[in-house]
Amino acid sequence: MNWSWFHTLGSPKKFYYLSLKWERFLLSFGALFLGSGLVWGLGFAPEDYLQGNSFRIIYIHVPAAVIAQSFYVAMGVAAFVQIVWRMKLAPIALRGFATVGALMAALALITGAIWGKPTWGTWWQWDARITSVLILLIMYLGIIAIHNTYLERQLSDRLSAVIALVGLINLPIIKYSVDWWNTLHQPATFTLTEQPKMPSEMWLPLLLSFIGLYIVALAIVFIRMQTHILEREKKTRWVRDEVNDGV
Amino acid sequence: MTYSSIFLSEWYLTFRRKQDIANSILFFLVVIVLFPIGVSASPSFLASASVGIIWCAASLASMLALDGIFKEDLRDGSIDQWRMNGLMVSIIVLGKVLIRWGAFILPLLVLIPFCGVALSLPEDLMFETIVSLLVGTPTLFLLAAIGASITASLRNSAVLMTLIVMPLYLPVLIFSTGYVKASELGVSGIGQLAILAAIFLIVLLISPFFCAISLKASAE
Repeated sequence: MNWSWFHTLGSPKKFYYLSLKWERFLLSFGALFLGSGLVWGLGFAPEDYLQGNSFRIIYIHVPAAVIAQSFYVAMGVAAFVQIVWRMKLAPIALRGFATVGALMAALALITGAIWGKPTWGTWWQWDARITSVLILLIMYLGIIAIHNTYLERQLSDRLSAVIALVGLINLPIIKYSVDWWNTLHQPATFTLTEQPKMPSEMWLPLLLSFIGLYIVALAIVFIRMQTHILEREKKTRWVRDEVNDGV
Repeated sequence: MTYSSIFLSEWYLTFRRKQDIANSILFFLVVIVLFPIGVSASPSFLASASVGIIWCAASLASMLALDGIFKEDLRDGSIDQWRMNGLMVSIIVLGKVLIRWGAFILPLLVLIPFCGVALSLPEDLMFETIVSLLVGTPTLFLLAAIGASITASLRNSAVLMTLIVMPLYLPVLIFSTGYVKASELGVSGIGQLAILAAIFLIVLLISPFFCAISLKASAE
């Protein structure tokens, strides 16, 4: 198998220019999906027979929660690559996924609180899934804190990778123990193995906004990674040329 | 330099610095005192909350007991010495953590009956509480060791260590208090105890490994 594409990605410079190209593509597609999903979901999807219009926040809440979890896995993969191969790009990706993942976890918690007030009558419940998203947010913030603490960049890269990987191994244990501890939340809206129980006019816009938000979040990760690359490689010639071009 | 000489010197050092152990035990007691004063001193509240209070205090104290365990080794070059002598850092880490755990758990177990009386812990739950501490606290120590090895090169590490280690503590906290509560309801809690032991085995596998990675990274 030809691995040269992998090495191309590993070079910060190559990745910078590639991701500049992808970014426009991703942002336009993401905006298209997210926009159509939100307009359809907020404006035209039928009302929920029990929750009325308040259920419509699902079109942000569920995508944000799923992305927060899946970005943790992406970050863990970056951490693994950092520890095993010490690729230059891995800590940059780790940091990008951590920041956007923390943002998504916070978004899921905030929209969840807004949704909880009219339906459960409370902003906050110590329910299993709320708690595990909160723990996820704390773990993201811990990794970002480690990454910001050390003066030596190499050390902070490797130590944040260690704690990200330990977190990834522990995440299933934490999630299932919290599930076992307390469950009040409605069961997951989407599972891969079953037909959704919602009518299709309700879940199709959810799928659209999920794909859209996922792509947009990925584009934001790329933009953050570009900033980090420019900062880390600021002594190199190509970065000076690149930055001076823009001014 | 052999494993046994390192462990022996660690053993002597731990018991010569009695104040370090005493500090973490005193910290445990202070946290215990906070709850009746801060929340409620009524025996009915305390009886239902006592196991949780003991476990919260034990998890905070275990973090304090391990804070700085690798700092001196990093500063005086011991970690480089171990590596030059062909010793595995992970095994030494494991030995050091277990010695600290032994020095911590023995006085703690002596104190638990007194704390139990002060917190109106039902007497028939005393045994389960002690068993849960015996099975659960080694996991806490191994997890705290990861935090201690990551923050070994920092001067002020306690806050950061708490931030990264606390989320990892949750399963232990859930299943250990779950085990005692199951016995309170008259159900067998052996399942929770088995999960607690399983978590210990997983952490026993990963903790020395990751501690070694981060200690080597800090020593470079």
